[in-house]
Amino acid sequence: MGITIKDVSKAFGTFQAVKNVSLEIPTGDFVALLGPSGSGKTTLLRLIAGLEGLDSGGIYFDDIDNTYKSIKERNVGFVFQNYALFKHMTIFENIAFGLKVRPRKTRPSKNEITEKVNELLKLVQLDHLAKRYPSQLSGGQRQRIALARALAVEPEVLLLDEPFGALDAKVRQELRHWLREIHQKLNITTVFVTHDQEEALEMADTVVVMNFGEIEQIGSPEEVYQKPESAFVYSFLGRVNEFRDSEVASESDKISYIRPHEIVLRKILQGDSIVSEVSHIHVIGSTVRIELRRYDTNDLFEAEMSIDQYQKMGQVKKGDILYAEFKNIVVFDKNSENKLNHSGKSGIRNSLKSKLI
Amino acid sequence: MIVRDTTLHAKNVKTTFQPGLLTKWLLITVAIGFLGIFIVVPLIAVFSEALNKGVQLYFAALTEPDAVSAIKLTLITAAITIPVNTIFGVFAAWAIAKFEFKGKNILITLIDIPFAVSPVIAGLVFVLLFGSQGLFGPFLEANNIKIIFGIPGIILATIFVTFPFVVRELLPIMQEQGTEEEQAAITLGANGWQMFFRVTLPNIKWGLLYGVILCNARAMGEFGAVSVVSGHIRGLTNTIPLHVEILYNEYNFTAAFAVASLLAMLALLTLILKSFVEWKTKKH
Repeated sequence: MGITIKDVSKAFGTFQAVKNVSLEIPTGDFVALLGPSGSGKTTLLRLIAGLEGLDSGGIYFDDIDNTYKSIKERNVGFVFQNYALFKHMTIFENIAFGLKVRPRKTRPSKNEITEKVNELLKLVQLDHLAKRYPSQLSGGQRQRIALARALAVEPEVLLLDEPFGALDAKVRQELRHWLREIHQKLNITTVFVTHDQEEALEMADTVVVMNFGEIEQIGSPEEVYQKPESAFVYSFLGRVNEFRDSEVASESDKISYIRPHEIVLRKILQGDSIVSEVSHIHVIGSTVRIELRRYDTNDLFEAEMSIDQYQKMGQVKKGDILYAEFKNIVVFDKNSENKLNHSGKSGIRNSLKSKLI
Repeated sequence: MIVRDTTLHAKNVKTTFQPGLLTKWLLITVAIGFLGIFIVVPLIAVFSEALNKGVQLYFAALTEPDAVSAIKLTLITAAITIPVNTIFGVFAAWAIAKFEFKGKNILITLIDIPFAVSPVIAGLVFVLLFGSQGLFGPFLEANNIKIIFGIPGIILATIFVTFPFVVRELLPIMQEQGTEEEQAAITLGANGWQMFFRVTLPNIKWGLLYGVILCNARAMGEFGAVSVVSGHIRGLTNTIPLHVEILYNEYNFTAAFAVASLLAMLALLTLILKSFVEWKTKKH
């Protein structure tokens, strides 16, 4: 089922959580709502579920107007950040809950419920835990059960609030793959909230980047990463070097950005390069981060490369002089609502040359 | 390296353990001594005085018509007060813990009033409202309804005095639990009643029971407020505590202590139940 969000706004007291948001989610899509805390992403998710009432706008599932419908009528599956499993019920009873509370007319028989729950337990690969209580499960297991419980009512839309927020890095990685697989198997329209850009880029078909209650950009993970439409999106989706060229009077309201891995370091001068001094070298597994100081502006910046590239470059130590080529610098206008001014290689390189060298 | 660490550790324990032991036993002795003098001795005194003149007199004092009527009235009062305060206590705790609204703090303060105010004042308030000189007095008299110096007055005063027990017990539990499980129940298609009986109630049941036990103990034992509104009519508007007072004032000590021993037993029973519930809650 596709979701259409039309011009939706929601305020809590004086705090405008969601501002005139419009969004079109096609059937079967896997969407990440990405943004920092307070960006309105969770509120938007809760508005879709009906857990919050909106102030203005409309929410449609396909052609059905769900704007003022109750949670029940919307037929959504919602997975809460802290799982919200029923503590006093076994895992089996937790998953069966949604079926057991149905009115007698539509309630499946006991055998059917048992069958359905067992099927779901198999889907989340935890059929051996049916008789346990939530407190006896690990965080990752609880998350899977929460998902199984939400799926039991056969929702047409699956909504997940920070699904992996409370888990440690390794379990998170596992569950990401697992959730993708489940989505592929069931093909339910799925929307999840996250503040982790890596999670959004890795899992989603569509990434919706939010900030201050508004949508900054909608696109595939590749689009939002490669062609960010605003300085916020650029800086939120990964590590970034920021240069404020305030010393150039004519361009005082411009900020240039470049990602660390887009900086090429050389030991000999070649092309348009900036003379820089190495101030730190961090080797993090298979990547190497080098912190440098520009000779011209004294700004610190960071370059990133694979350990292979690092070894190819030859011995580098603190205090060495390197030549940095800024291959993909992007300039955003500070004043025009952070919207993109220039992008790509042409033009910018030239303007950069005049600024930097 | 490891060996050195453990010896260092052992030394530390030893130096802090010695004076700790002394403090510990001193504190325990003081606590037991205090409790012995102020609680255990009086409790024994109640029972020994009650049984002073033999078991026969003890039971005679309990089965005498006025005593039976006092016991009955106390049970009726508790039987009405507890359900009322349980239901409204759950409502109030739910409203406060799970919803945001203006005047919430005022409501919390209002709930605490019965604890803050002397029970005598509580009784007087009802006399001022429903007594013949009171606000609703003429109306009640015209319609032949008797509240003060009657059973309704006793029940009203008891409800007032015992209202905070259930709410106060539930509030922290409900606040700690938040609303996520309830929201989950709703998203899974449960209606309000299903949510309450299948999710909310099971989560608060031990706290609720604890509150009910305390409420019951106070409802049966309340003296001040009930004394003001009762009118002390023997066999009609006397509860157990009032009956004890009357007997005592008549120098009928054996009977007074015999009836009082019922309240003492109620207290012991309450404590046992309370410990059981506490143990259950911890296990939960």
